[in-house]
Amino acid sequence: MSNISSDDVRAEVKKFWDFLSRKLKSQFAEMYISSASVFAADARRMEPARLMLVRRERELLGPASFVAANLGSIDVQPLGADLAIASYPFHLSITRTRASGKRYQSEVPRGRATQVFQRDEKGVLRIIHEHMSSAEPVSTKELPPTDPPKRV
Amino acid sequence: MKKISSEDVCKEVHRFWAILSGNVADRLEEMYSPTAIVFTGKAKRSESAKLMAVRRSRQLPGPGHFSRAEVGSIDVQIVGQDVAIAAYTYSFNTQKILANGSKMQINTSFGRATQIFQRGEDGALRIVHEHLSAAAPPAMEKAGE
Repeated sequence: MSNISSDDVRAEVKKFWDFLSRKLKSQFAEMYISSASVFAADARRMEPARLMLVRRERELLGPASFVAANLGSIDVQPLGADLAIASYPFHLSITRTRASGKRYQSEVPRGRATQVFQRDEKGVLRIIHEHMSSAEPVSTKELPPTDPPKRV
Repeated sequence: MKKISSEDVCKEVHRFWAILSGNVADRLEEMYSPTAIVFTGKAKRSESAKLMAVRRSRQLPGPGHFSRAEVGSIDVQIVGQDVAIAAYTYSFNTQKILANGSKMQINTSFGRATQIFQRGEDGALRIVHEHLSAAAPPAMEKAGE
């Protein structure tokens, strides 16, 4: 099997954000290996990716939610034939819907991501670990019930 | 080469925090691969670990300075023969001397760490990537003399 190239990893990172912003639930979930672990940007603890996916699906992938991201330069560190680390800054605008039905608009102006990709048995690159954080406090405001999702 | 183990990784994580707390005299920069990349607490971009380690070493607690780290349960994923991902929460209380000479006590209560270790040709485990962040901004207060 050929070594993982930096371009392959950058393409996967772009796919990740494309699937999330276009709310492609199954393709987005497929990005993670079943045993993957995740530090979400606002979480105090790490969690299994499968739990994070349930929450992201409910809060970010519904009809009243919205995700837009601008990615900075993606650094890639290959670690052998099957493993590579992607790290990059990003600016994220999201409108999320909580279980209560209330909607919140958040800006993450200085987001930072680390995603570790591993090639699975079919040769597909998938995320085995993810750490998202923000270098600045995230600003969040509650939206009135009638506001449409913000477009940027 | 010896296969990487969870115990080896946990030992290195604890050594890392012992260095940062000033409890052992090992050199911080030796914990990193020469090509390592890190995201530190409030940095907007990743940077070379070499630069960061030099900066952190200058800020290590000196005599009379109080610094303490508490590391939570360390989750270790072995990914291949020579690579492991350590992910855990931590709290870190330390003092920083500001440019005007005054001291600040900085308490990071909800720290989160990802450190990716790789065994080098010399058999030593080194950090190739690190992402430290906090789920809540650190509390800062003026420290007593």
